Amino acid sequence: MPPAEPGGLHVIEFRDVGKRFADGTVGLESLSLTAREGEITALVGPSGCGKTTSLRTVNRMVEPTSGSVHLDGRDVADADPAQLRLGIGYVIQQAGLFPHRRVIDNVATVPVLQGLSRREARSRAAAVLERVGLDGALAQRWPAQLSGGQQQRVGVARALAGDAPVLLMDEPFSAVDPVVRVELQDELLRLQAELGKTILFVTHDIDEAIRLGDRVAVLRVGGRLAQFAPPAELLAHPADGFVTEFVGRDRGYRRLGFVEAGALPLVDLPTRRDGGADPPGEWTVLLDGAERPVAWLAPDGGRHDLGSVYTTDAGDGVQEGAGTLRGALDAALSSPARCGVAVDAEGRYRGGVAADDVLALLEREPAR
Amino acid sequence: MRAFGYEIDELVVAHVLLAVVPVLLGLVVALPLGWWAHRSPVARRVLVPLSGALYTIPSLALIVVIPVVLGTPILSPLNVGLTLTIYTVALLVRSVAEALDAVPDTVTTAAVAVGYRPAGLLLGVQLPLAVPVLTAGVRVASVSSFSLVTVGALVGIDSLGTLMTSGFEQAYPLMVAAGVVGSVALAFLFDALWLGLGRGLTPWSRAGV
Ligand SMILES: Nc1ncnc2c1ncn2[C@@H]1O[C@H](COP(=O)(O)OP(=O)(O)OP(=O)(O)O)[C@@H](O)[C@H]1O
Ligand SMILES: [Mg+2]
Repeated sequence: MPPAEPGGLHVIEFRDVGKRFADGTVGLESLSLTAREGEITALVGPSGCGKTTSLRTVNRMVEPTSGSVHLDGRDVADADPAQLRLGIGYVIQQAGLFPHRRVIDNVATVPVLQGLSRREARSRAAAVLERVGLDGALAQRWPAQLSGGQQQRVGVARALAGDAPVLLMDEPFSAVDPVVRVELQDELLRLQAELGKTILFVTHDIDEAIRLGDRVAVLRVGGRLAQFAPPAELLAHPADGFVTEFVGRDRGYRRLGFVEAGALPLVDLPTRRDGGADPPGEWTVLLDGAERPVAWLAPDGGRHDLGSVYTTDAGDGVQEGAGTLRGALDAALSSPARCGVAVDAEGRYRGGVAADDVLALLEREPAR
Repeated sequence: MRAFGYEIDELVVAHVLLAVVPVLLGLVVALPLGWWAHRSPVARRVLVPLSGALYTIPSLALIVVIPVVLGTPILSPLNVGLTLTIYTVALLVRSVAEALDAVPDTVTTAAVAVGYRPAGLLLGVQLPLAVPVLTAGVRVASVSSFSLVTVGALVGIDSLGTLMTSGFEQAYPLMVAAGVVGSVALAFLFDALWLGLGRGLTPWSRAGV
């Protein structure tokens, strides 16, 4: 399936790339794919389908046995490998930090290899560490003294320190627990919004691919492309049984994460600014001094958790966000009062979200 | 310091030089060979058994054969030095290869991916990370060298071994004992030195403990 439209410079282009290893194993049959400039292209597929192999053909850690890989329109086979790699950030699973170098010097590695003095390289490294949200106090630690999540952050910082426009990321977040993984994913999206790198992101986790990818390439064994599409498209129209299977359960519900709620009507809910002694007699939202919802008061006066809160601002509308039908429906379904609480971007109370209204909006969505 | 009719400090200096210089030389020779064995399975299949076999040659035989082969004077300390160098190489080729093997793949892969060329990779990443395993190998080679030096005394090369051989001839147990204790003490001293050096080079290896 060709990319929908050519817009922008095609930065990483796989042209019929095949790789047969020395022992006869076919890593890639014939992969054709274009990762567009400034986008995250997620490569996802079952173990052994050739994700790592395809990533490594880009920086020539693997030489294709057929076809070619082009970066900025130039065949990478014509580049000096070490020089080429200095211009491509690489984040490896398990971080792959240098255990014998302090955090700051790990990050300074690429600038030093690029010819900067150690001092300049360190100051660049310090700036990048800050950018990825690492406490400056960690800079002087050894990698072994960091948590897994911190190590991954340093791995990302090291890949960014060379100022490369292209990043290759091979399952960078697969070794950390789910909570930290989501933090790191958010961090990556935030960085990407600032930096606009061209990123090839390998994962075996379809949810991660859908969360991060502007486009998702689903690969079968042998590196055969099953589908290459934006996440919403993948969820709405899986190309075949393999993709359907791979995308997994709940895809209808997950697809709502990509549909902007837009004109969702909000309902008025009873509110109170103090807990009071008398039971309110109906479900009431308790607000703090800054108009932010804090809890639900049950009819009998008991306090209940708010459930997930729906943020009305849709954000950029491209990524999965709170201002989507999924966020709205989830707010309604997770509330103890059968009605979700909506807030604005500053967290101030705006109104209530009724599941019926969300479903009504859904009916107006074009048929799938 | 004079005792048993010998200048003891001269014997000590000779003993140390004859034991330590071959360890350093042997290390220098073993590094490229071990690196080769680490890189190439074929080289490893030849080099590791070959170096193992070298170590089984009796030291006295080597000390006697070397002047015949190389034409060095029969009483030259060079014969002992060369013998000990050969033993060190024999011990360390395998150590070097194993020390390099012990460097985690993820680390070397990451180093290649960020743009290291082979020489920089070896000097900047692989060797520093190989130091802990390498230190263990060097310590074994050093202890072996310090004890083998004494064999040289049998062919008239001075070391603390001289106290043992002439102590035997003179049926003077105290002199033999002084030679044994002295050479053991020196071996321990240098063992501690290598250990300290290895630790000094790897502050990171104790991090997070
Ligand atoms: N150096 C190699 N020699 C021989 N076969 C290899 C080599 N590297 C990879 N392969 C094989 O090529 C295929 C693709 O491997 P690859 O590492 O690209 O898979 P992957 O999609 O990254 O898998 P995973 O999700 O498990 O990391 C596999 O069958 C693998 O065994
Ligand atoms: Mg892989």
